[in-house]
Amino acid sequence: MAFLSFVIPGAGQFYLKERGRGGSILAAALVQFGLISWSLNLKVAQWTVGRLTTSWLWIVVGLFWIWNVYDAYNITQGKSGSGLIGIFLTAFVIYVIAWQVTDIRLDRLVTRFGNALKILNDIIHPDLFARDASGHWIPSENFGYIFGTIQSQPVPDILVRLKLVSAGTLIPGYQAGKIVETIALGLMATLFSTILAVPISFLAARNITARIPGGVVIYYVMRTFLNIVRAIDTLIWGLIVILWVGLGSFAAVIALTIHSIAALGKLFSEEVEHIDAGPIEAVTATGANLFQTIRYAVIPQIVPPFLGYTLLRWDINVRSATIVGMVAGGGIGFFIIESLRLSAYTQYAAALWAIAVVVIIVDYISAKWRESIEAGVVQTSAAKPRPFYTSLRAWFFIVIGVAAFIYCWNLSGIDLKALFEPAPTFWQLIRSFVSFNLDPEVTSAVIAQMMITIFQALLATTLGGLVAIPFSFLAAHNLMGRSRFSLVIYYLIRTLFNIVRSIEAILYVAIFFYWVSFGPFAGMLALSLTTFGLIGKLFSESIENIDSGLLEAITATGATRFQAIVYGVLPQIVPPFVSYSIYQWDINIRMATIVGFAGGGGIGSLLYNNYFPFGEYRSAGTAVALIVIVVAIMDFASSKLREKLI
Amino acid sequence: MLRVEHLTKIYPNGTTALRDVSFEVNDGEFLAVIGLSGSGKSTLLRCINRLIEPTSGRIIWNDLDVTAAPASELRNIRRQIGMIFQQFNLVKRSSVLTNVLAGRLGYNNPSQSLLNYFSPADQKLALENLEQLGLADKAHVRADSLSGGQQQRVGIARALMQDPKLVLADEPVASLDPVLAHSILKYLEQMNKERKITVLCSLHFLDLVHRYATRAIALKEGQLVFQGLPKEIDDAQFKAIYGQEAERVTII
Repeated sequence: MAFLSFVIPGAGQFYLKERGRGGSILAAALVQFGLISWSLNLKVAQWTVGRLTTSWLWIVVGLFWIWNVYDAYNITQGKSGSGLIGIFLTAFVIYVIAWQVTDIRLDRLVTRFGNALKILNDIIHPDLFARDASGHWIPSENFGYIFGTIQSQPVPDILVRLKLVSAGTLIPGYQAGKIVETIALGLMATLFSTILAVPISFLAARNITARIPGGVVIYYVMRTFLNIVRAIDTLIWGLIVILWVGLGSFAAVIALTIHSIAALGKLFSEEVEHIDAGPIEAVTATGANLFQTIRYAVIPQIVPPFLGYTLLRWDINVRSATIVGMVAGGGIGFFIIESLRLSAYTQYAAALWAIAVVVIIVDYISAKWRESIEAGVVQTSAAKPRPFYTSLRAWFFIVIGVAAFIYCWNLSGIDLKALFEPAPTFWQLIRSFVSFNLDPEVTSAVIAQMMITIFQALLATTLGGLVAIPFSFLAAHNLMGRSRFSLVIYYLIRTLFNIVRSIEAILYVAIFFYWVSFGPFAGMLALSLTTFGLIGKLFSESIENIDSGLLEAITATGATRFQAIVYGVLPQIVPPFVSYSIYQWDINIRMATIVGFAGGGGIGSLLYNNYFPFGEYRSAGTAVALIVIVVAIMDFASSKLREKLI
Repeated sequence: MLRVEHLTKIYPNGTTALRDVSFEVNDGEFLAVIGLSGSGKSTLLRCINRLIEPTSGRIIWNDLDVTAAPASELRNIRRQIGMIFQQFNLVKRSSVLTNVLAGRLGYNNPSQSLLNYFSPADQKLALENLEQLGLADKAHVRADSLSGGQQQRVGIARALMQDPKLVLADEPVASLDPVLAHSILKYLEQMNKERKITVLCSLHFLDLVHRYATRAIALKEGQLVFQGLPKEIDDAQFKAIYGQEAERVTII
């Protein structure tokens, strides 16, 4: 059996009925082999023996091979060793290649540390307030750009026509700032995508399509469509949409809406599939037709979860709206790009702070509303509820809602006519996009950049996760005790997590390219920072959710707090930590596809710098197709892996 | 009059749920359907209003061939056949009244009902039915705030809204506390006697069959193995229906 494993790694184990182990060993060997062969051309881990230039990683592969034979031998002897050595060797190969491919240059972190201090200084001195002539602090001009200003403007036409005021009168009015515009973009995109996602989700739900002729075909077409659209990031949609309706807020709304329809469509359709079939059966049995059945048996069941997902999406859309302007124009993303072009880092810093404040508030409101929807309002009073149109409160919200809608509509520059008048280049784009460019130089460049993207995400997840672990212990309520000191630390770290994660990775790239210069390294560091905030919160919440009984039992034995953590907490948190890390890697790959737009390397830089500006839409199509494939595979693999873990 | 002729149902996975089942139900009967779990009782009831499509065989109801009815005629037939479910099948988040009114959908203009409009007559009828079932004060509460027994009574009220001539009751008391079984079955009995509604009811407990049914049929592995009066089910019959290991149990 050991011999079998010598010929094909894992074959011996497979033959000995250790199917999973054998398969994993073979897969690991293939990954090592493939990665090393691929990276030889990139001069990774080079090793020259006489005239032969090869990779010294082959030595590690040799070790892995020996281990695999030894492992098979062990199994024949009835012993089952741990797979840790094999995992370690495989991980070693992957990380060495990832490290070199992503161009990690630790020396720059030190030699260019002066730059880091400079930009840090700018970040803690955002351009929001300035001293006026008499030495008082007043909001700066930049503050007005971001949050809006009060300006005199002509009165609305209607008041003049009604002869309430004379023409030409000026009244003070609010001129919306970039962050307000961003909020409007997020709101409009959420509204449009929800409306459009509802019918789509019905056609992508197995239990609904089973009732219509040809439903199976519709189901698969819809699901594939949703998966493809969802895999393409909002910013990439932005690149496409600006050729359709031109640069501006409207393009931003469309890009956000497209991505959001697919994301919501998937969640909605899963919700439709999970509804209780009983009421449908009962209503059908009364002789109701299909539409009546949907109205009375399906809709009441799905409205609350749909509302919950819409609120979640609103939160995500506001975050995305902060960056979509970087390519599509509009919102604070456009403002940030402008500031960076002028190297106005204090303005950039002001925008970051504004985003953090807005996103934290939106995140909080959305979470609160979702909580109350989940709890539901169980009406137990016998009285007939008053119809909403007799309630003053309801009318108040309706009026506010309509006013907000009109305001946001105007602010986001929605121009439906533009939808029907795309630039001629747009049709060219559509045509080229699906006739992929498969020239060897394009495919090898696309694959190389995609690998960098995947490795960036891997390293960022590792780095961000490792740094977040100690912090997450300090941000867990149950471990921190009740002293005033520990409460201060708890709130400080929680706030740090919240601020850091409220800003999209792509916005951090500027900080790191200032520090370590352009390239995948800067992108990786930016991703790590967001990862730190996101995963730190998840980690600390999973620590807070552990079973306290075990901790209590170990403390009762007279163990110190440190011992209690090692024996009572660690065994419980390893599975959720691993699960969240895999999830985060999945998210990071998506984010890594766009960090290149801001100079962070990877496949995004290929799209943004090489393909789109020069009209190489066929090559762009190839790159986007690869993104779709990789994201879909990662999405599938990560959900399967996580299912196994929990 | 309901006639079931040579009814067979084979599921796509190959399970034969019903095998050549034939029997008749006269108007005004309270017919109990007995048999073990998985013997095909639920499939049989659902084939009658074609919630499940039979594989072969015919179902003739008042000289109408249910099995051959096109969609619109099928809806017309369905609205005259009420159905009561083991799991109640109420829309949990909707109010009791809305759940009851849903029983009227087959009679209403689809476009009106999509806007949640029900005529005052429908509303009055719904409240009357609820009152008869002792739930008048619960009309505006959410369905999931009721107890199991109350939810099943809402289910009955929904079926009554259809002004049915036949009611199919699929294990109506199996999810309820045994003490509540009689209260639910008494409502069915009342329906049967006062409104002359034919009842087809699958039941688990034999003493409930003795107490309420006018006639009984028994299914075993999808085949009809008994047809007759409840009192004719003696020990030998009982073993034939339920298997040699079965013991009689009584509830209250």
